Amino acid sequence: MEDVVTHEDWKVCFAQLGPGLVLFARQFVRTSADAEDIVQDAFVRFWRKQHSIENRALLYATVRSVALDLLRRDARRARREAHASLEMEHTTAPQFDFDDGSQRALAAAIDLLPAEQREVLVMKIWNELTFADIGTVLGISQNTAASRYRYALAALKKNFVAHE
Amino acid sequence: MNDFTELENELKKLRPQTPSPALALRIEQSLVEVAGRGTATAGVLPKRRSFKLSWLGLGLGLAAAAGFLMLARVGVDRSPAKSTGLAMVTPVPGGSTKAVSDILVPAGMTQVVYNTRDEGLHFEEGADQPVRRVRSHKQQTLQWNNPQTGASLSVSYPSEEVTLIPVSGQ
Repeated sequence: MEDVVTHEDWKVCFAQLGPGLVLFARQFVRTSADAEDIVQDAFVRFWRKQHSIENRALLYATVRSVALDLLRRDARRARREAHASLEMEHTTAPQFDFDDGSQRALAAAIDLLPAEQREVLVMKIWNELTFADIGTVLGISQNTAASRYRYALAALKKNFVAHE
Repeated sequence: MNDFTELENELKKLRPQTPSPALALRIEQSLVEVAGRGTATAGVLPKRRSFKLSWLGLGLGLAAAAGFLMLARVGVDRSPAKSTGLAMVTPVPGGSTKAVSDILVPAGMTQVVYNTRDEGLHFEEGADQPVRRVRSHKQQTLQWNNPQTGASLSVSYPSEEVTLIPVSGQ
């Protein structure tokens, strides 16, 4: 039976999921403020509809949908983001709390990944979604999601080792 | 066999930054606002619906009624011409059940005044005494029936009436 969320425990859920959600939203926008706006909108929408918090795919799909809506509304930003994604330009890295320089280098290597690989990596590593869920969020098969994940890890391994 | 286990472990050690405390507050505020929309108005009365005469609706209604009446009249005018000879030659005792008349007979009119507003005293130009202006909003319904077929037609439209009541000084 699905665990339907109630109004009382949203803080518990948000404390658990918030950092990963903001990190995921950050894949679409350049600033933390924009990412938090996206998460706020998506989380409220999700909570208001009383979806099960176990339905992670729907939650992340909501975040992604809100982010894409935001990009579409701001045509100038959309062009900029699309341009950045297509050319795999250097974007602002996902924000982490670093313990040492090695982690900083790893974060920089993540930043070099293509956007489509990076968003799979973010959902898999820091949000612990299954490939099936990731496929649902992105509208791709779970095999494609798994492939993108492996490509991301391979690229990271290559870049990270090269920088070490 | 996973060649990336070590790398995955390294990645998991990276901790995403914690969202700002303001974000949780904003979400809480949004959820409260959303929940509040479905609750009582907390003393705030709903805005009174203002009357607005729907000229388009009135026009369409009257046009439809006029069209129907014209068709009915055409039907009435035609039916005697068609049936004159037949009716005269073969009168049916007790009345024919097939001779259907299209005559619509006015059956009544109802007028419901659902709002009256006293707009106070006004001085009309050239008048030597004030008048009280009362504005009434009504819904008028006209009905026609066909006594033979039982068909009925009704047209309903809103109307507004302004009444000026002379006020004499005491």
